[in-house]
Amino acid sequence: MSNNNKKWFSLNLGRKEKAASGSCSCGKTSGGCGGASNSHHITDEEFDVAAINASIGEERTKDGFEQVFDVKMDRRTAFKKLTASLLIGAGAVSTSCSVISSDENKEKSQIDWEEQFKGNYKLMTDEEKNGTVDRLVRSYQLRTGKTISMSSKNAEEDVLFGYAFNISKCKGYMDCVNACVEENNQDRNSQMQYIRIHEMKDGKGFNFNEADDNYYHEVPAEGHFYMGTQCFHCDNPPCVEVCPVQATWREDDGLVVVDYDWCVGCRYCMAACPYDGRRFNWSKPEVPEAEINHNQHYLGNRMRKKGVMEKCTFCVQRSRAGKNPACVEACPTGARIFGNLLDPDSTIRWVLENKKVFRLKEDLGTEPKFWYFMD
Amino acid sequence: MKSNINMMGKIVCFSFFLLAFFSCKHHENEYHSITDKIEAESKNYHGTSISSEAYIGEIETIEITEGEHTFLIPERKSQIKSYACTECHSKPLEKMQRKAIKKAHWDIKMDHANANTMNCVTCHNPDHMDDLKSLTGNTIDFNTSYNLCNQCHTKQFEDWKGGAHGKRIGGWAPPRASMTCVNCHNPHKPHFESRWPARFNTQKVKERE
Amino acid sequence: MRRLRVFGSLVKDSLDTITHGSKRYHLWMALLTFVMLFGMYCYSIQLEHGLSVTGMTDRVSWGLYISNFTFLVGVAAAAVMLVMPTYVLKDIDFKQAVLIGEGLAVAALIMCLAFVVADMGGPSVLWHMIPGIGVFNFPNSMLTWDVLVLNGYLFLNITIPLYILFRHYQGKEANPKVYIPGAILSVFWAVGIHLVTAFLYQGLQARPFWNNALLGPRFLASAFAAGPALIILVLAIIRNFTEFKIQDKTIKKIAMVVTVAAQINLIMLISELFKEFYAPTHHSESAYYLFFGLDGKDALLPWIWTAIPLNVLATVLLTFHKLRNNFKVLFFCCFILFIAIWIEKGFGLIVPGFIPGPYGKIAEYTPTGIEIGVTLGIWALGAFVFTILAKTAIGIELGTLKYKKNEGI
Repeated sequence: MSNNNKKWFSLNLGRKEKAASGSCSCGKTSGGCGGASNSHHITDEEFDVAAINASIGEERTKDGFEQVFDVKMDRRTAFKKLTASLLIGAGAVSTSCSVISSDENKEKSQIDWEEQFKGNYKLMTDEEKNGTVDRLVRSYQLRTGKTISMSSKNAEEDVLFGYAFNISKCKGYMDCVNACVEENNQDRNSQMQYIRIHEMKDGKGFNFNEADDNYYHEVPAEGHFYMGTQCFHCDNPPCVEVCPVQATWREDDGLVVVDYDWCVGCRYCMAACPYDGRRFNWSKPEVPEAEINHNQHYLGNRMRKKGVMEKCTFCVQRSRAGKNPACVEACPTGARIFGNLLDPDSTIRWVLENKKVFRLKEDLGTEPKFWYFMD
Repeated sequence: MKSNINMMGKIVCFSFFLLAFFSCKHHENEYHSITDKIEAESKNYHGTSISSEAYIGEIETIEITEGEHTFLIPERKSQIKSYACTECHSKPLEKMQRKAIKKAHWDIKMDHANANTMNCVTCHNPDHMDDLKSLTGNTIDFNTSYNLCNQCHTKQFEDWKGGAHGKRIGGWAPPRASMTCVNCHNPHKPHFESRWPARFNTQKVKERE
Repeated sequence: MRRLRVFGSLVKDSLDTITHGSKRYHLWMALLTFVMLFGMYCYSIQLEHGLSVTGMTDRVSWGLYISNFTFLVGVAAAAVMLVMPTYVLKDIDFKQAVLIGEGLAVAALIMCLAFVVADMGGPSVLWHMIPGIGVFNFPNSMLTWDVLVLNGYLFLNITIPLYILFRHYQGKEANPKVYIPGAILSVFWAVGIHLVTAFLYQGLQARPFWNNALLGPRFLASAFAAGPALIILVLAIIRNFTEFKIQDKTIKKIAMVVTVAAQINLIMLISELFKEFYAPTHHSESAYYLFFGLDGKDALLPWIWTAIPLNVLATVLLTFHKLRNNFKVLFFCCFILFIAIWIEKGFGLIVPGFIPGPYGKIAEYTPTGIEIGVTLGIWALGAFVFTILAKTAIGIELGTLKYKKNEGI
């Protein structure tokens, strides 16, 4: 992150830009300065928690990354933690002398500081975007020892994403919902899902009131048809208008995205969305470590924290790389079509030009980029 | 005193007016609707650097041109387990079907239209098993079996060519690679089976109690 | 320099005043402190576990906090009903009441801000909303307008009384040329805060229950009924427990304000009910839910059917001069009117806006204990702030609090 030309306030509490080599005052480059580094290594993990708590308060430790602390422990780690908590008193003394805390811990708290006081992603330069992504990847690595790949790929020129849904093809299998949850690392506890499939009675029109979006019986059910809804990525999105801090916006390729780190959690956007496209993390989102999708995008499926909004991004981590969103790929009936609206030869354009398409609540002027059609 | 109030009132009114004026939404988009916008902006479409080619992966494809659409479909022959058929079907069919019991293809049960309309030889050529045949007896290659389907399913064929029917291989970006009919539909039993949904949301039930 | 010294002395004296009082006063303050601590405890639980400890869901995403916020903005705005005649029209009647009214506005605004903060999912990143430091989506987001007008109003309502009290404290008269422009501005501002708050909801095309042109005016009418009603009650209490003299005439005049506002509010309510139920459309479902329940879901029925009769009863009683001039009836009316509008404009407005959801799904909302605890805590905070302000103001106005020149710091 370049220190000049910042567009926002950032607290620099006397912390110098950390040198890449990361040596502390004693000159050693790793393993802490003290002699008996081995016995203290046990406490490092616990120290980290304590250090973050002390430096940035309770709130910070409870973000989406904290789920890494909830990884099921084997007996060895459990024992380690236990020992650590016993040793913490002794450890606290040595940290206060600031000789012991390892380079890793310093780096962790450094990252946490910079993340807490970084700016709005929307206004970042590409360098700054890379900076925050690198920090997040490093932070994840430091905490879990696992590597993720996180992209900050920008919108491409001459791309405007659009989506079409064939209501005569959808059979209500909900494979799309599962694929979406797995792809986008949604909270498993609250069973958050971006997509809803509404089971509607034939001959009643689009009667959402009588439709069931949480059926469990063999599908397709006799005399019913199925209609999926999710975020429609409106071209004139009301949610973006109302956000007081511009934490959600419409990207140039038409995706309506959220900066999870900038969102203050007022839920005004949720009230403003006519399509039920937004979800809120009422408690800390949790995904079992084994199920985490490691291919992430800053604006997409990276780990969220408690108290922020999230939503369908047309799988920005996939779509900007040329893949179809997970729901499109998972659909066994081919009811979902995705593509570039600006490409005259794209399949989505063919659908819009040759099928009878319609959108939901068109009268609201939100201009959804999500069309429905029938065979 | 009175004039003071008047003055104040005027100033307040004026500032309200100014505020209202400057806060009017300045629409950056000059288009009336999204369709207008798409039309206008795609006029000078130059293509993108994004490609889905990498995601087609191992799948071997062939390029086909149907009407004004040119795209890739998976190569089929290498995917059929016992192709070429003539490795077994060395004799005409009548000579192979001597007993009442089936010795091969016992797992195939026709469930495609009714018996009046279709049987095996509607599509397969009993004299030359390596190719398919059209209703009029012309040869159709296994790789382009969609030509067989489109004899009856003309509407689906139109939609498929355009991209409204069927699925893409790889991703949305060019080059377009689409699955062909038999990648999703079993030609002997083309409909989709009914089954249970992949998920049931217990949390939603609680929420709506 | 001298001013600073006087100010320091004022702070010291007022600290002295608020820490001394009768047994009853101490008991009252202790009770408030206890409730506040309880609220803070509840809030700490909410911080720890997230907003999932409240009754809110993705379906009904605003609840008790925002309901109270909306109502209290009205109470704060209502202080203006006393400010205007006093400062501008030189109506001496209101002069004593107005300081109380402005104190009430300050307390209400502090509660508003507290409710908004309590409702936030990420209070630790609220600095994102500070203009200049964060990103302020002005003028697009009505919420940023609300932040501006609420804080501006808070500033006005602190500075004007402070100036007057500061002068009186030194035994001098306040200079009208200084405070009258501020007073006039605050008159417009008060209407502004309430309209802006109404626009917060009114501007959402997604929620037909809110998206109607009458919402703003109805907000004003109900605010100008509930706010002064509360002021009457507070004045009655102050009259009883302190030596601060408030004439009957003052209370009667405020009662007049309450009556007219309540009548207008009732007319608007009838107009709204007519529109929803004479020719019901798809958009009337929220109103059906509120008044009659939908699909067997009827959690709000007891609330709204308490509010409507109370509202009508109070308005009818207040309309008769004889009844209104009887203070016992008046206080009773003010009390039930306050309750009725609190329900109508809090719960009765916010919750049905979300029901049924965009796709017709009904998930009902019931606040949890923790939510109620935090709410009570914030109300206690408001009462606490108001008591402190009122006690100091009354002290200065009665002349017991006075600047002594030779008293240094």
